[in-house]
Amino acid sequence: MTIEAVDTRARGLRARRQSEAVGVGGMVRRLDWPLMGALVAVVGYGLWAIDGITRHDVGGSALTRQSIYVFAGSLLFLAALFVDPDRYRALRRPIYFGTLGVMIFVLAAGAATRGSRRWIDVGFFTFQPSEFGKVVFVLALAGFIAERSRSIGHPAAPLAAIGYGLAPIILVFVQPDIGTALVYLAALAAVLLIAGVRWSHLAVLATLTIVSALAVLWLLPSAGVNVLKPYQAARLTGFTHPNNDPQGVTYNLTQSITAVGAGGLRGRGVLGATQTRLNYLPEHATDFAFASLSEQHGFFGASILLLLYLLIVWRALKIVAGARDLYCAIVAGAIAFMFLFQVFVNSAMTMGIAPITGIPLPFVSVGGSSMITNFLALGILQSIHMRRGVRRRA
Amino acid sequence: MASSAGAGGRFLPGDPRTTEPYRLTPQLAFRVAILGLLFLALFAVLFLRLWALQVLSGDRYLAAANDNRVRTLRLEAPRGPVLDANGKLLVRNVAGTRVELWPADLPKTWTARKRELRSLAAVTGGEAKDMLAQLKAHGDDPLTPVIVQRGLKQDQIFYLSEHAAQFPGVQMQHSFLRSYPYRSLAAQVLGYVGQISPEEYKRLRGKGYQPTDALGQTGVESTYDSYLRGKDGRAQLTVDSRGRPKGAARVETNPSPGQALRLTIHIDLQRAAERALKDGIRLARASGIEGAHADGGAIVALDPKDGAVLAMASYPTYQPSIFVGRKDAKKLAPLLNPTAAEMANHPGFNRAISVSYPPGSTFKPVTALAAMQEGLMRPGDVIPCTPDLIDHKQVFKNWTPLIDQGMTLTTALAESCDTYFYALGQRFFSLPPDRGHPLQAWANRFGFGATSGLDVGPETSGLIATPESHCKLWGGPPCAGYVDRIWKPGYSIQMAIGQNQVLVTPLQMARFYAMIANGGKLVTPHIGSDVELTGTNRQPVRILRRFGAQSPQPTGVDPTALRYVQQGLDEATHSPFGTSSGVFGSFPVDIAGKTGSAEKLFKLPGYPNPVNLTQSWWCGYGPYNSPKLVVCAVIENGGHGGTAAAPAALQVFEQYFGRNGQITTHASD
Repeated sequence: MTIEAVDTRARGLRARRQSEAVGVGGMVRRLDWPLMGALVAVVGYGLWAIDGITRHDVGGSALTRQSIYVFAGSLLFLAALFVDPDRYRALRRPIYFGTLGVMIFVLAAGAATRGSRRWIDVGFFTFQPSEFGKVVFVLALAGFIAERSRSIGHPAAPLAAIGYGLAPIILVFVQPDIGTALVYLAALAAVLLIAGVRWSHLAVLATLTIVSALAVLWLLPSAGVNVLKPYQAARLTGFTHPNNDPQGVTYNLTQSITAVGAGGLRGRGVLGATQTRLNYLPEHATDFAFASLSEQHGFFGASILLLLYLLIVWRALKIVAGARDLYCAIVAGAIAFMFLFQVFVNSAMTMGIAPITGIPLPFVSVGGSSMITNFLALGILQSIHMRRGVRRRA
Repeated sequence: MASSAGAGGRFLPGDPRTTEPYRLTPQLAFRVAILGLLFLALFAVLFLRLWALQVLSGDRYLAAANDNRVRTLRLEAPRGPVLDANGKLLVRNVAGTRVELWPADLPKTWTARKRELRSLAAVTGGEAKDMLAQLKAHGDDPLTPVIVQRGLKQDQIFYLSEHAAQFPGVQMQHSFLRSYPYRSLAAQVLGYVGQISPEEYKRLRGKGYQPTDALGQTGVESTYDSYLRGKDGRAQLTVDSRGRPKGAARVETNPSPGQALRLTIHIDLQRAAERALKDGIRLARASGIEGAHADGGAIVALDPKDGAVLAMASYPTYQPSIFVGRKDAKKLAPLLNPTAAEMANHPGFNRAISVSYPPGSTFKPVTALAAMQEGLMRPGDVIPCTPDLIDHKQVFKNWTPLIDQGMTLTTALAESCDTYFYALGQRFFSLPPDRGHPLQAWANRFGFGATSGLDVGPETSGLIATPESHCKLWGGPPCAGYVDRIWKPGYSIQMAIGQNQVLVTPLQMARFYAMIANGGKLVTPHIGSDVELTGTNRQPVRILRRFGAQSPQPTGVDPTALRYVQQGLDEATHSPFGTSSGVFGSFPVDIAGKTGSAEKLFKLPGYPNPVNLTQSWWCGYGPYNSPKLVVCAVIENGGHGGTAAAPAALQVFEQYFGRNGQITTHASD
């Protein structure tokens, strides 16, 4: 290490030395091991839990399928380690417009089949671009705002970034996939925060967001303008009064809360968890996986999972603080916040304190796109961490 | 956290531009700290909520989960009724009760479950084995039921409801059963309804079918299933921990009944046709050796103007009600099991459309029309009708050795002279190759060799062989040099009298005679007339969709040529030597028609070699001047056309026109 540091002063040689520093041995040493540990633990725990959750489903346990996704995700994770985040920054335009193009293609295909379509069928597996797009979106948006870091105090910069970010958000929103659109919004917020947008500007934006949310949900509908389809609005607001219509819109919610509560301190076990086994709890392998896990493994089981998530986001914040430049810091911060946002909204929704949206629980919900995307996100975090303190050419 | 830059800085003064780490600005540090606090706060919320739900109120939710026994019931929609042309109910529904098994509530242990199903089987008269097999096929979905029996009897219902405690997971539901007021009448046309099979379900899943659905299997029940089936409703029922209902079911959506299907069938004519078939068979058997093996047949009655099927009878037949409610394997065997079907002479076949026969002399009008169209014969030509005709040393006999005179077309048709038509067959055979195969071509134009497009299946297309198709059938091409594959002159000669290389269904033949009757237009036969909302409380019937007739297609046949054929057919029923003058000569309505006595090789039980048996045909129409009804009758192995098929056909005309020629069937229109 010392010798490397000496050599780095010889500027002509630096590039080569730097790449050597990121050789296999150096890489392994420079990984964030607590984060690696948390990742392995949460993936293993998720596989074990999903096996129990899906064991009595019609198709049988999803363990094999999920393991394949884990394998594919690990490969992507490893690949991400080798990519210098600067590459993303340099390629932000093709990344951004490519993602937009794929999203428009999905929308057009969905329009052709007259229904909501969020995925592309690639034969062995249907791929959801909006899921994968989360990370890509962050990479592009961070690049956009990092370029404007000098003028970040001026209102034009955040407004431009919002305009840049809003295009994919709207495309996801009209798919319609409100849950994922909210995740994108969270990422946008985190990007603005880390990039250093003034507090006063952030406050104005926050107020605007709250007012427009209220408008979409309550004010405009009462004036006769429906931005959301009635079922969407009902899902978003249903959690505030779950007993309103226990067999209708909030049926899932009632069943989910019952499942979580029935789990108790120790859980009901795989066989005893009737909410899951008898299918009272719909979508228990995907959207409501947290409720099923809580029913089967109780407060202890659910807490283990939450603590693992906490460990991951804590390490992610450390990586933000140690990032080598603003771009990396923004990317890491946005990934951390996005991850937390998904964990929070998903598990809070199953407990009746957040709107019902189709956001998957990271590393637990059955689904290839989500699994692979989360692996990629953590891979980028590790990649940023590995390159901490290696200064870019000014 | 040994970063290279940090480590380097410890020993040597660094170049600030390369070794200085990216400085965490206080502003960013502050913001990261804010984020961290936010994260902690959110996790705190999650933990608190989790604690509140699972630990503080865990018992309450556990009780709720244990009490969570809402079942979604399917409320069966009554299937639409089937009406005849005059609105008489041919198929209706009666209320019944079905038994369902709910896998979630059945005993969990194998032995207890088996014991319960055994005692259930003892009550309902089913088989525990079958129920277990059905449960297994149903898969692992515990919250949709398996219907193990429909049509429970009253005492069984009482027993099961009184002993409900002994039968956890067994529920009785209202259901509807098909009921057939006219018993076996039109059985093959109506078809039956059965449980959807896994393969059918796979195919129809996209159209909203459920794995527990009933599905029309044959006949109009199958063709018009999507109109008849209606839409099931849904209800929520709360049950206790043993699967027993607590309170009444809460209806979410009401079932919407299926639409009524009106047919073109006139049930009175249908009844007459089926009776006529039986009588024809009896006549054939009584007539002596020729018809001694008569055992089946078909009658088709068409409206010659639009192809509406007024009656379609097939014998032997069955009672569709054996498919309803508790099933008796013995009664179902002739319909489902191939060997039992063979023994019972295939009662499930709709012989009017699914079986093809050699048409014999009923085919002669086709030959006559084709010969006139191709200029091989003029109706005034006198062609010798000899006792036999010799071609390439092969002898082709007339049906009677007693006639030896020259004949014109009308006489040859009236007396059904075979040798006259053999001669035409020779002329068709001797045509130069560039003329093609006009006899077959005209037969195809008249609807033979292809299905008719009837809305009820399964229809067979029959056979109109050409030299090419014959060669192919025997493994060609190449054709030349292979004895089997060569089209011999005898084939053309025999085809001219509807033998050997010709097979037709009774419906195809009826369609052809309808074409003769209506002046040369080919109709598309149909049975479904419309679907409608049956008027309740004197509301008028509202027709939702009309299927009805397609406009008849012109065949391009010369009206003058047709006129001679019509005349020949009328002479066949009225001239002194006409083949069915004895049957129709004295009937007050002028009926024109042709007998047919076609030979077919049959393997009879008890005989070592196949024997040549005569298929008895009669096809014709009336009244001669303004045709209203076409009838085509076949009695399998019934002997000469005049002895069995013609009297049977007469009975249908009698029902339609009245014995004295007064039209009665339409009186109720």
